[in-house]
Amino acid sequence: MKRRNFVKGLLTAGAGSVIASPWVARKAVAASNSGTVKLGCLFSSSGTMANIEGRLNYVAQMAAEEINAKGGVLGKTVEVVTTDPGSDWPLYAQLGRQLIQQEEVAATFGCWTSVSRKSVLPVVEQNDALLYYPLHFEGEENSKNVVYLNSPPSSSVLPAVEYLMGDEGGSARRFFMLGSDYVWPRTINQQLKGYWAEQGIEPEAWREEYVPVGHSNFQTLINEIREFANQPGGQPIVVLTVVGNSIPDFFREFINQGISAFDIPVLGLDAVEADFEGLDTAPLVGHLNCWAYLQNAAGPRNEEFLSNWSNYVAANDVPFSPNVAIDPMVSTYDGVHLWAMAAEKAGSFGVPDVRDASAGLTFACPSGYDISMTSENTYVKRGVFIGSLNENQGFDILWQSPDTPEPVPFSPYMNS
Amino acid sequence: MARRRVDFGHLLVSFILLCAASLPALAQDRGTIIAEICSGDFGAQQSALGQLAAAGMSEDSSDATWARRIVEAFEGRELRCGNGVALITTEDGAVQAASMEPSDVDAETLAPPSVNLRLRATAASAAAILRLFIEEDAANRLSAANYIDRRREAATAPILSAALERENDAEVRAVLSTLRASLLLEDPDPANRIAAVEAIAQDATLRNRTTIAEAMRDESDADVLAAGDAAIASIDRMLQVGKILSTLYSGASYASVLFLAALGLAIIFGLMGVINLAQGELIMVGAYAAWFTQEAIRTALPALLDYYLIIAIPISFMAAALVGLLMEVIVIRRLYDRPLMTLLATWAISLLLINTVRVTIGSQNLEFHQPYYVSGGFPLVGDFIMTSNRLFAIVVAICACVTVVVLLRRSLFGMNIRAVTQNRAMAGAAGIDTRRTDMMAFSLGSGLAGLAGLALSPLYNVNPGMGTGFIVDSFMVVVLGGVGSLIGAALAAIGIGQINVIVEPIYGAVAAKVFVLLLVIVFIQWRPEGLFAPKGRR
Repeated sequence: MKRRNFVKGLLTAGAGSVIASPWVARKAVAASNSGTVKLGCLFSSSGTMANIEGRLNYVAQMAAEEINAKGGVLGKTVEVVTTDPGSDWPLYAQLGRQLIQQEEVAATFGCWTSVSRKSVLPVVEQNDALLYYPLHFEGEENSKNVVYLNSPPSSSVLPAVEYLMGDEGGSARRFFMLGSDYVWPRTINQQLKGYWAEQGIEPEAWREEYVPVGHSNFQTLINEIREFANQPGGQPIVVLTVVGNSIPDFFREFINQGISAFDIPVLGLDAVEADFEGLDTAPLVGHLNCWAYLQNAAGPRNEEFLSNWSNYVAANDVPFSPNVAIDPMVSTYDGVHLWAMAAEKAGSFGVPDVRDASAGLTFACPSGYDISMTSENTYVKRGVFIGSLNENQGFDILWQSPDTPEPVPFSPYMNS
Repeated sequence: MARRRVDFGHLLVSFILLCAASLPALAQDRGTIIAEICSGDFGAQQSALGQLAAAGMSEDSSDATWARRIVEAFEGRELRCGNGVALITTEDGAVQAASMEPSDVDAETLAPPSVNLRLRATAASAAAILRLFIEEDAANRLSAANYIDRRREAATAPILSAALERENDAEVRAVLSTLRASLLLEDPDPANRIAAVEAIAQDATLRNRTTIAEAMRDESDADVLAAGDAAIASIDRMLQVGKILSTLYSGASYASVLFLAALGLAIIFGLMGVINLAQGELIMVGAYAAWFTQEAIRTALPALLDYYLIIAIPISFMAAALVGLLMEVIVIRRLYDRPLMTLLATWAISLLLINTVRVTIGSQNLEFHQPYYVSGGFPLVGDFIMTSNRLFAIVVAICACVTVVVLLRRSLFGMNIRAVTQNRAMAGAAGIDTRRTDMMAFSLGSGLAGLAGLALSPLYNVNPGMGTGFIVDSFMVVVLGGVGSLIGAALAAIGIGQINVIVEPIYGAVAAKVFVLLLVIVFIQWRPEGLFAPKGRR
């Protein structure tokens, strides 16, 4: 553990020398117009997260347009101000402050990685602002200034791992945890280890490895995964918590080394449909993920959402695929609507009023579940999907929860 | 309710296992097998797939064809069950699974039975076994046999014996008999067990070592134990060799990536002294040119699609060279004596290029067709797999290195570049057009970056920001190698690549990166001019 800390320290020191990516905060056109209320977006459209985070700016805008078409909120038009933090974690805090203090946004929607959320957290807490966070994450946090739109591990990762350890999922008994080196993978893995220890699995049956964020050369690690998988002790799986463009890089090497999901299934905790856009997924069929929404979710609400998105892409020349929808897009979409409903209910845009009015709100999510805000904290109750990658770069639904489980912010497995 | 169904399933399984050995024809009627596969109970589904695989042995050859159809429909989720009916959806409507007669039940009201990973693996194995019995063409049977060799879930010794009895092709027979021998690890006859150990040890992988080692734990026969020990020792030797080769190969492949990214910079920064921060974006331009070539070929000449990477070589080179030429003519030539200004100007150009591409094409990863020569890999020794996409990069890197060295050392153009580098005023006085040489050299460096983009497209994600990841590494390689020395850059790339690969498995990827950077810093402290100091006045 000491070595890791030392290395981490060195890395942090080194990170300062890397040339920062550019960002441009688009000034609001009608800043002085009193007929509008502003929402801020903190999603990167450059750097390693650009390919997936960039979409969320547009989906927030799409949700705002839907609300405006129905007359806006409290008689005001919703205007979305976007920024580009360039996948540079400290920049999220700086731009977040700018959004809150200069643009005076009523609420901010932002962050993908937990490290960016942790960097924005002090800013929203100091200014008593609201951050709507659309990703499933590691939990262990309960700020009254963050609305956690997506699930903590108890209602995302653990059901998926449980499924994989069961008969139907292939009775996984050995686990290779591979993650990007930051708070989300490390916390998730910590909780998983606690969970496995409680299930009576010996520590020899798991291995933990981390790579720098943006890592792309997975040769050596995949050699090691093969070696790990071929040792005795039962069915191996990979719990993958690398993020951003490392995900397609990982899978590309996985295919080329000829490993099939039948032999070593990968549970890609951050893997979404969009990560596979540039890949031929035929040799990857069967790998898994778990989210609160999958594009193949059945039901008319999802069909409507998907057709709205593709119309929006066509009408606004959005530089992303019209046929791909991912969970954080839907979560952001839900978030904008939940905020609008709360403001409407409170009759005010003030943060304390909106927060109070949020308790108990229910929204018809495109996933097919009626999601609701809990009354004791700012978590949202979501459904759980386990998906299996198919030939068409999408995920088939292997399992989904009967209802929306109660989110548990603090994991009981954290300290075991 | 669910509990009771599972028990029933288990009863069925034992019943089937009892019958399977004695009956040559289909052990159960088709309806029962279909009911089991539709049951949603994992155990029953597994046994049904085993039954279907065994249908290959049936004397009635239509059984095998039918079983294959069912297995493929199950795998492809075309099999639908519910309300006591089972259908297979086809393009001309649904047919009943048991009889293959058309059905008027609406398939949309039924759901495919659950298919988890283990069932899929068994189904794929069963389908290959059935192909072995059905296919007329020996080549197809050989590929099926090889597939079963890798995926043995549904293979049993009796099925393989039956297949061997019917098989007349020598090559297929060889694969099948090794395969059958390896399935007899728990046979009552020790001779068969020894044969099994030997058959398994032919393929020296860690997985097979584990299989033998586990079998030896419960083994009591001394001869078998001796055979097992010998097999494990021989596998261990192969694994050791494989491991060394695999480390060398990983190092070489990483080195080739570093070298390709740094090659253009070795000319632009190394020879001309321009700190070009847009070098990474020139790589990106090359990769995008390769993508456009691919798209053009896809529409105009789809037959040549597999060769787009070769066809795109001049196109990627020219596209990046053209961008470099414009950069030189418009901006850089005015800033040769102001290096800090060049630094800022080239950074600005890099941002301009990234954002132009982002606005016009979008920031998603581009989809590249992966031709056969850059997909998959060949297992060589032990667990060492030589992956084709990395082999491609290594080959391109070597070719590019040789070409550029020859160009610089042996051609008039190369001589001009070296002359201008060593003493600009003197070269000018000797009648060399130094302006033109600068322009050409800068274009060459840019074009080489474009080539790198092409060679790296099967390895990396291609998106507007892809270049930024390469810039730090390329400067490191050029500086470490000695500014101005191509061979130095090549050696530096190999060194960094190998050290990285050796450190990574021991201390992790993060530490490897830190370690390499520290090493470079220490080295530069000790030898500021790099590995190979250029001779000449600077």
